[in-house]
Amino acid sequence: MSFPNMLYGRVLKSPHAHARIKAMDVSGAEAMGAVTLTPEEVPDVTYCPRLVSIPSATYKDWKVLTDKPHYVGEAIGAVAAESEEEAQKALEAIEVDYEVLGASFDALESMKPGAEPIHDEIYLEDDLLKVENNVGCQLEITEGDPKALEDADVVIERTYRTNRRYHNQLETKSVMVRPEADGGISVWSTTQTIHNTRLLLHDIYGIPMGKIRVYKVALGGSFGSSIHVNPVVNVAVGLALKSRRPVKLSYTREEDIRDHCAYQMIFKLKLGAYKNGKLAGGRLEAYLDIGAHQIQAYPLLGCVVGWWVSLYKLPYKDYVGKAVYTNKVPSCAFRGYGNPQISWVVETMMDELAGKIGVDPLDFRLNNYIGEGDIFWGQGPSVKSIIQSCGVEEILTRGAEMVDWYNRPNPEEQTGRYRRGWGVGRGYHTSSAGAPVPSSIVDFGGAMLKMNEDGTFDYVSALMDHGCGTQDAHIKIVAEELCVTADMVNIIRADTGTTVYDVCTHASRGVYSGGGAALKVAMKVKEKIRDFAGKILDAYPHAVRIRYDEEREQAVVFAEGIEGREVTYREIAETARHKNWGTAAAVESYRQPSCPPHFTGYFVEVEVDTWTGKVKLLRVVAGADIGTVINPMLAAGQVHGGFAQGWSMTVLEDLPYDPDDGDLVNRGSVANYKVPTTMDMLDLDDLTVFFADTYEPTGPFGAKGIGEGALNPVAGTVANAIQNALGVRFFQLPITPIRILEALREKEG
Amino acid sequence: MEIEITINGRKRRFDVEPNKLLLNLVRDELYLTGTKYGCGIGECGACTVHLDGEAVLACMVLAVDADGRSVTTIEGVADGDKLDPVQEAYIEEGAIQCGFCTPGFIMSTKALLKENSDPSEGEIREYLKGNYCRCTGYVNIIKAVQSAAKKMQG
Ligand code: FES
Ligand code: FES
Repeated sequence: MSFPNMLYGRVLKSPHAHARIKAMDVSGAEAMGAVTLTPEEVPDVTYCPRLVSIPSATYKDWKVLTDKPHYVGEAIGAVAAESEEEAQKALEAIEVDYEVLGASFDALESMKPGAEPIHDEIYLEDDLLKVENNVGCQLEITEGDPKALEDADVVIERTYRTNRRYHNQLETKSVMVRPEADGGISVWSTTQTIHNTRLLLHDIYGIPMGKIRVYKVALGGSFGSSIHVNPVVNVAVGLALKSRRPVKLSYTREEDIRDHCAYQMIFKLKLGAYKNGKLAGGRLEAYLDIGAHQIQAYPLLGCVVGWWVSLYKLPYKDYVGKAVYTNKVPSCAFRGYGNPQISWVVETMMDELAGKIGVDPLDFRLNNYIGEGDIFWGQGPSVKSIIQSCGVEEILTRGAEMVDWYNRPNPEEQTGRYRRGWGVGRGYHTSSAGAPVPSSIVDFGGAMLKMNEDGTFDYVSALMDHGCGTQDAHIKIVAEELCVTADMVNIIRADTGTTVYDVCTHASRGVYSGGGAALKVAMKVKEKIRDFAGKILDAYPHAVRIRYDEEREQAVVFAEGIEGREVTYREIAETARHKNWGTAAAVESYRQPSCPPHFTGYFVEVEVDTWTGKVKLLRVVAGADIGTVINPMLAAGQVHGGFAQGWSMTVLEDLPYDPDDGDLVNRGSVANYKVPTTMDMLDLDDLTVFFADTYEPTGPFGAKGIGEGALNPVAGTVANAIQNALGVRFFQLPITPIRILEALREKEG
Repeated sequence: MEIEITINGRKRRFDVEPNKLLLNLVRDELYLTGTKYGCGIGECGACTVHLDGEAVLACMVLAVDADGRSVTTIEGVADGDKLDPVQEAYIEEGAIQCGFCTPGFIMSTKALLKENSDPSEGEIREYLKGNYCRCTGYVNIIKAVQSAAKKMQG
């Protein structure tokens, strides 16, 4: 994108992991003709860039530009110039005098007494809070009788550590801001939510909402990294307001990798089971390494416990979750929002427990899973609902048959260089964060629909589509309800000024929740069409019927059995116009009454080379219960992509830090951040995806989500397959060749 | 430096700095923004274009090195409003999710099919290993290449 008279922005970033800026001299940059922006020149507002939860659950510790950077890469200043190159030169001409402070790079170290405090004070709503031991927020929950766990026949307790992953979405974070003559701004940015972007910019810059127009643009992948408003957006707005010229600001890949990452988590999990194959209870301590700022870590603490207790029935559960500051890049949601992490831990321990009590791991899962009729905590303790559709049993039993599960290898019988193993794992994710009562999470959307004068429709929604097929599904839902073909429903380009509020495309809510709004609005329009048709046909509106007529390429409303009493949508729209009845149009907001889990299960076969430690994929069978499958090809595509991300989470990805200077060990180079290529994935014939036959009564035409459930169980499944091959369990991700070789040396000498 | 490049069939002249990348010329001066920046270091393949019919990474080619040669970008692939068979195949097979990697993949696929009109799955994977996709897990992309190969054989 570009505009006439446009400037290019660049962000000045802290080279230190923790420092105080004593002085900043921008005269060199200004002498070169650049527009500069310093911390004093932006509003002194402390905010949280993610606005999905209500204010009383939102901790705030961010500034547009800070004079006390808390990680390498934090924005401390900015420039705008006529070209990117000139902007870079101007940036290099800025002189900064730092007082370097102590820093910490590990969540457990950070909590120790005597560790350098990262934030002294933060806000919860408007209340100033003191931060103690670098714990940004915490959550504790206990349910049931602790005696259940005490009476268990077998108890296992272990510590697990996940990796630090980078979204590596193909499009780096970017924004274009144009100041408008009326004092407002227009914004085009990488975002999963145009309305929350507008809300935040209003909060920071005080511009009246109607004068902030945030436009929907195609997004080159995101996976949760733009649920929050990306820092570039807030900086670019400051530059545009000061320069009064359009400003474009795009991060380089090296900047982007220091801009966001997934939460690294440390878990201490204790699970107990009885000899009869039932779980007794558990205790989970979760330490979330949130990096230097909170991007709504508090609701994540709720989700982590929610994901944990909604996998299997635990008569007793005890949870402590802490979000811990470190001097690293702030962590944000990454496809699954903590679910892939906790699912890896639980699915690993379920296998281990099954072994200890002597039941097959698959049967152990079937004995204990949470399914239809059970209470589901989905998005945390404040979002409870009852499960109304569940394909877990079908997924596990059909998959087991396909892979001949009960005849899988025995690790103790394997000796050669190459060893094979099968693993099973299951999981789920919520479809939206809906619930029958309000919770601390905002989850509703809206849509507008109108019938055009030729009998086609225009559909307008604020919901973003970042490649998950969401818009496509909406069109199908609207078309189905109105008995027209999908190409008769147009998607209209939209912005905050032309749409009603939608919270965000996240939480696998695009089809279930957003699609719910699409269906509601289609039903309203249909009602109006029936009214109009009733008048024209002299029939009762509730008695007329609708069908699609292929020859006329029109939907036709008719009074059944009475010849000649029929009228096409086009004729209805024309008549309504000529008789001044108005347009058949509607605008609706919609909140889903629950957040039904879409269930997934994987069977994976791997081969481990015990000489090199390399793990190769041999076969994958994936089953998914997503209710009615609206578009099988796109839904399968979500499973393929989810599997690939889960696979690389298990064996490839990590972002270690250099404690000497607080920067990434790879210095921001994606050449040193491993993600799968075409060569790492399996051949087409070795991958099978099937869908369970279920119907979700609360979903549009019975549908649920799929995006995140496709990923969540993968790490646990692959880890279990590696265990089945080698007889060794791993408690740290990723399971790299070096870790495998070390573990084998320990086991076999 | 004065250079002349034939871009998508049209001769154009430019005056560029010697360190200007072909990627930046194509995007910032010609507004052919279908060619994407993903990494700038030759890792992702999002910037793939054809230089005299061969697939190259536009972030690794200097504009001056394209002097006197012909460059095809994704914008030059379709015949007016009629999509190329490779483009059609990517759409039909659901090989596009966010779509950011797609132009690069299509340019690589076209180069592959020019060299080898009936590639095996292994050959497809080998040829496309420099193109990175975070969304699809490559499954539908491989299917799209197979289907494009069939279409082009008629
Ligand atoms: S931008 Fe050229 S390979 Fe990534
Ligand atoms: S479709 Fe998104 S990166 Fe390939």
